[in-house]
Amino acid sequence: MVKRLQAKDRSALAYLYDHYAGALYGVIFRILKKEAIAEEVLQDVFLKIWDRFDQYDPSKGKLFTWLLNIARNQAIDKTRSREISQERKTSDIENVVSRIENEDYIEQRIEGIGVKDILKDLPEEQRFVVEYLYLKGYTQSELAEEFNIPLGTVKTRLRLAMQQLRTTLNVT
Amino acid sequence: MNIREYISSGILEAYALGELSEKERSEVENNLARYPELREELALIEEAQEKLLMQAAIKPRDLVREKIFAAVDQQKPEAKVIALSPPNNTISLWKFTAAASITIALITSYLAYTYHDKWKATQSDLTNLIAQSQRVAQEYNQVNQRLNKIEEDLRVIDNPAFTRIIMNGTPNAPGATAYVYWNENTREVYLSVQNMKTLAQENQYQLWAIVDGKPVDAGVFDGGIAGGLLKMKDIGTGAATFAVTIEPRGGKPSPTLETMQVAGNVVKG
Repeated sequence: MVKRLQAKDRSALAYLYDHYAGALYGVIFRILKKEAIAEEVLQDVFLKIWDRFDQYDPSKGKLFTWLLNIARNQAIDKTRSREISQERKTSDIENVVSRIENEDYIEQRIEGIGVKDILKDLPEEQRFVVEYLYLKGYTQSELAEEFNIPLGTVKTRLRLAMQQLRTTLNVT
Repeated sequence: MNIREYISSGILEAYALGELSEKERSEVENNLARYPELREELALIEEAQEKLLMQAAIKPRDLVREKIFAAVDQQKPEAKVIALSPPNNTISLWKFTAAASITIALITSYLAYTYHDKWKATQSDLTNLIAQSQRVAQEYNQVNQRLNKIEEDLRVIDNPAFTRIIMNGTPNAPGATAYVYWNENTREVYLSVQNMKTLAQENQYQLWAIVDGKPVDAGVFDGGIAGGLLKMKDIGTGAATFAVTIEPRGGKPSPTLETMQVAGNVVKG
């Protein structure tokens, strides 16, 4: 797969898209909250993957991790380059309402079993961290700053949560 | 290094999420290369992360896929060239240079064309202006000459030394009139035709002065010339009458009296 992509095999990219576009779009959409902008970023991400595949080093991590990092960085960069960031950071009532509406919308389009189900067995403080980092598009430092949790604590809580999730997600 | 502690700090989760700084990242990568336990742990973290996010997937609209592959297909040949030749920068520099050259060439051609057009237009404007100013100069000269003539005529007409003789029409030409201005001292004779018909090509009018009962030739002139004085031949003193006859072109030594058109006596003031 990796070799085919490095050789610029179009069908390998098609496979990659069909397999991972949904997961990456989920990440991007949760960060940007706007369909048109999220789609634009997803498109940029796949073109970047296609152009820079020779930079992927399997010894440094899984393919999905590499894709996720590109998608997440691209989406976060977008929030900084637009007025979105402001909307996301301010917490007046209107924005809270629109955020809730967006979350409903996301849930309607989620494939497979609901993520909330997966997270339901986690202790509240760990579930909170996973939700904000993976489902609400926060970075660790944003989370630490906005909710006044030390960055080290955010990290260890995520560590504990991910360990717990291995069972739920059948990771052996 | 205490591997257990390192793992429980959560740094590998942060690494998998792409949250680390460049420096932290390369530290983790060094450690991964050294400790197989870290690699195993990371693999588990990555798998859990992937599965979680696969569960949270949102299907993008189909048009995104179409757009991506349209873009990929469009850049395909270019991508191959780049993949085959390492000096990537050289190519893009070369491309940039080529693009810049073409742009400059296009701009230059456009400017050259525009300026050529403007130059041609200016040149034709200039030609027109030169012609126009030549015309104006000619007209000015003509007007100037006419003015000089009028001034000269006026000097004659206003000069008390000239006697004006009014010659009225004979029964041959009842409506005809002409004046003679004669300066007896200088012997100059001027003629002013007021109203005399145009003659056939082979004929001319001839002015005569009658001195001591004999006709003296004072020169020939064409009819139809109105305005201004005609300088005629000088005659001697003592003319009593002036008269005009029609003669063959060039005139005759003696007048054909039957053709007399106008005549008038000198009235001495």
